[in-house]
Amino acid sequence: MHDGIETRRSYHATRSAHIALLAGVSLSALAACDYVRLLRPSVLRQLNPRVVRLVNEFPQLDNPNEEIIARLPGHGGLSEATVGEDGVMHAAVRVPADQFVWEPALIVAPRGGVLELRFSNEDHRAHAVMLEGNEGEWMLDLPMHSAGVARVRVDQPGVYKFTCPVANHGARGMLGLILVRGDVAAEARLDRPTQRRPGH
Amino acid sequence: MHRSSPPRHPMMLAGLALSMIALSSCDYVRLLRPSVLRQLNPRVVRLVDELPAVDQQNEDIVGRLFPHGGLAHAEVGKDGVMRSRIHIPPNQFLWEPSVIVMPHGGDLELEFQNEDHNFHIAFLPSTGERQVVELPMHHGGRARIHLDQPGLYWFGCPVANHAGRGMLGLVLVKGDVPADARLDRPQQRRPGH
Amino acid sequence: MKSTTHSLPNGALVAALCAMAACAHHPRYPVTEQARPFTALDASATRAAPDVAAGVTADRIARARGEPQNWLTYYGTYDGQRYSTLDQISAANVKSLKLAWQFQAGVIGLIASPATYAFEATPIVVDGVMYVSGWDGYVWALDAATGKVFWRYRHAIPLDVPLCCGNVNRGVAVVAGKVIYATQNGHIVALDARSGTPVWDQVFVDVRAGESATMAPLVVKNMVLVGSSGGEYGVRGHIDAFDVATGRRVWRRYNVPKPGEKGSETWTGNAWQWAGGTAWITGSYDPDLDLVYWGTGNPGPDFDGDARPGDNLYTNSIIAFSPDDGSLKWYYQTTPHDVWDYDGVNENILFDQGGRKLLAHFDRNGYLFVLDRSNGRLVRASKFGNRVTWGDIDPTSGKVTVRLTPSAQGTEICPGPAGAKEWPHASYNQQTGLLYTPVMDVCGTFSTSRQDFREGMPYWGGGAAASKQGNKGYVKAIDPTTGREAWSHEFLHPVVASTLSTAGGLVFVGESTGEFDALDAKSGDLLWSVQTGSGIHSSPITYSVNGKQYIAVASGWGGWMKGFAPELYGETRGSALIVFQLP
Repeated sequence: MHDGIETRRSYHATRSAHIALLAGVSLSALAACDYVRLLRPSVLRQLNPRVVRLVNEFPQLDNPNEEIIARLPGHGGLSEATVGEDGVMHAAVRVPADQFVWEPALIVAPRGGVLELRFSNEDHRAHAVMLEGNEGEWMLDLPMHSAGVARVRVDQPGVYKFTCPVANHGARGMLGLILVRGDVAAEARLDRPTQRRPGH
Repeated sequence: MHRSSPPRHPMMLAGLALSMIALSSCDYVRLLRPSVLRQLNPRVVRLVDELPAVDQQNEDIVGRLFPHGGLAHAEVGKDGVMRSRIHIPPNQFLWEPSVIVMPHGGDLELEFQNEDHNFHIAFLPSTGERQVVELPMHHGGRARIHLDQPGLYWFGCPVANHAGRGMLGLVLVKGDVPADARLDRPQQRRPGH
Repeated sequence: MKSTTHSLPNGALVAALCAMAACAHHPRYPVTEQARPFTALDASATRAAPDVAAGVTADRIARARGEPQNWLTYYGTYDGQRYSTLDQISAANVKSLKLAWQFQAGVIGLIASPATYAFEATPIVVDGVMYVSGWDGYVWALDAATGKVFWRYRHAIPLDVPLCCGNVNRGVAVVAGKVIYATQNGHIVALDARSGTPVWDQVFVDVRAGESATMAPLVVKNMVLVGSSGGEYGVRGHIDAFDVATGRRVWRRYNVPKPGEKGSETWTGNAWQWAGGTAWITGSYDPDLDLVYWGTGNPGPDFDGDARPGDNLYTNSIIAFSPDDGSLKWYYQTTPHDVWDYDGVNENILFDQGGRKLLAHFDRNGYLFVLDRSNGRLVRASKFGNRVTWGDIDPTSGKVTVRLTPSAQGTEICPGPAGAKEWPHASYNQQTGLLYTPVMDVCGTFSTSRQDFREGMPYWGGGAAASKQGNKGYVKAIDPTTGREAWSHEFLHPVVASTLSTAGGLVFVGESTGEFDALDAKSGDLLWSVQTGSGIHSSPITYSVNGKQYIAVASGWGGWMKGFAPELYGETRGSALIVFQLP
């Protein structure tokens, strides 16, 4: 019995140390992470009253059949595509159950090129993806509880949309965007000094 | 001038305190509700982190994210008409706000102020026919539209590709359909419940 | 200096707070610009339509076959025959048909769901004026001889309206100076037929519950009848009647009983609350028997039958009810306990043969049902589908033997989820005594999954994927007295357009690939064909103005293509109404 309590105590001590260590590691991880980067002045400046009001409404507006019938389009968050060794960009998109949303709904491609998206449909119903790419529109069927891969070429900076063409899912929240950063090829640019852009 | 400043000091402080109190009941403080914070999952945080660049014309992308001009609630007038004001700031390709919330279906009167150096048009949803307001630069315009069902309606600027570059807005109509149009069955659970 | 150093940070703080509280300065420009309706930008574009609709009464609609120059109601006549006695255009001269005029509906900006809209409407023609509806709440009044637009009306439809499956509308009803139609978000709206301005507007479905509306209303007596859509959202299907003059609701009948009501013994537990049984295709009416005949849709959830044990009345049924109060007189369930999404919504064609008052119904389950329409007794069930593997129906007793049902791992079953015939309608030719039906030969893989119900979310309990290969289409001529095929014309793809038969010995039909064809009613031979530019998923009509016969068809591919012709999902979309005439 006694031994047992001792063991338990030392176990607790070790656990506390572990937790402290974990907390320390998490905190330092956090310090480098997106949550802390939120506190940049450029981000805080975005929190003007109208945007604050929007964020305040999210819990209701971003729930299907709550305040409106749909949820806000493009609100499954954002993630950046990673560039593989072969130069192909990769990102994964989930369709969570009962949400009518792409998660993430915004995919940032660092530059133009071939983007490979892996979709997994965790919903109880069939969805599909209709993507815009250089070679035209692409369709990918996603029966319930299935996964699929789509490869599109997006070679210009800008916004490309993807949507679920089943019934009216696209307009009920399943509208996603691919954001392609970067500039056009150097040889396509105008021969003139660098010009000021709107935010500068 | 110099002498009057010491007595101004407490007044400034009082003003500051008043502002703080006003602020504490305001939207900024309401941001700290758990239901709002829960929305700050890693993907959304990443989105907010990216906003300074993706929400700026011709910065990371060519256009900007739509509809990111914030949200406003339409005010219900004594005559039952809902009203809201929308600015078009210069060099933004943006409706501000770009999300207008109507508490229920009905008439919505929108006043537009085009502060941009560009010509815009508000192409609006409305029962009967879509409504069109031309907005030459530095002009104001007014439209009254009728939306009668809960749901999400879009409006946009049909000039060139302004809508695609960011001038896509939403009108959100809250509420339920009239009682006599609802199904005769017990109250059902909705997706978030 | 001291005070300056103190006041500066304070001032900055106040300024910052002020900026945060939106004190930002905006210039105020005088409001000089006023919104105008989109149609009014060109004043010459909108004109009043001639006052022809004022003379349309329910009695005139009941005798519509006597005025073949007009197409007064959804099927042309109350009996649902889609048969015209006009014979100027005949088997002898049809090959010289040419374009009379064309109407391009077009679209501006977003439409609710670009992937799914389709031009499905049946135009109504009254004394030289045509009334036609489209997606996204549009109605147009056109000059039936020239195609010139008189007026346009658009009901604003929210982007997020729950739709299954297409952003479509199948037509309007015209009576007493009004054009009445159901909007996608479930309003029934009466427009002044001269100006297109609303006279009354009622909500009859709940978009929150996942309901919508797509069908053309039916005028009966002093009422207009309309049914609900949304069978994929676990709703309770219903049919409502509104007073034509005032818009006041006269009655609503639910197609699925509540506990304690007759038929509720075919349900268990709470399943009745999500039961389906919608009514999204226009009914037919027999003024002599004073009965309305309507088809009802699938039960919910579509594929998971274990969630709703029993026969599930009155889903997948032909129901006959009184127009006065909606009370049920008889029913015939074509697919008891449907687990294949074989809605029984298809049209009911009323015809008389050998002194008997009969009703013909081509069901999605692949069988043609001929019933005695005075009492609902089966005269004959005969198979018209090509591959029918889900089960068998005894021709005389109507006994159903189920062979294949959906499974967790998926089962290949024929016909596919859109059935052996989609909603597009068959016709009955009084000269040949034959029925002409469009047919789809498509199979599908059906699977089940257990699902909790949430209001406003699709409630399928599984899924069905139509086969992408080996699909074919037919127009079949069937003798209703024997159930035998008189002829069959094969097409490369499923046929999802209605047939129109005329006293000119012709059957008109559109193909999924855009060809609009005239077939010989006696032999099925192809006599004339023209490419319209987009697939046809609508119902052609015929009418005449100043003694000249016209044939009109809407061309605009879309709708639930994944269900009925998945191999053509990517084909060109369109939105044209095309009218043909003899030279």
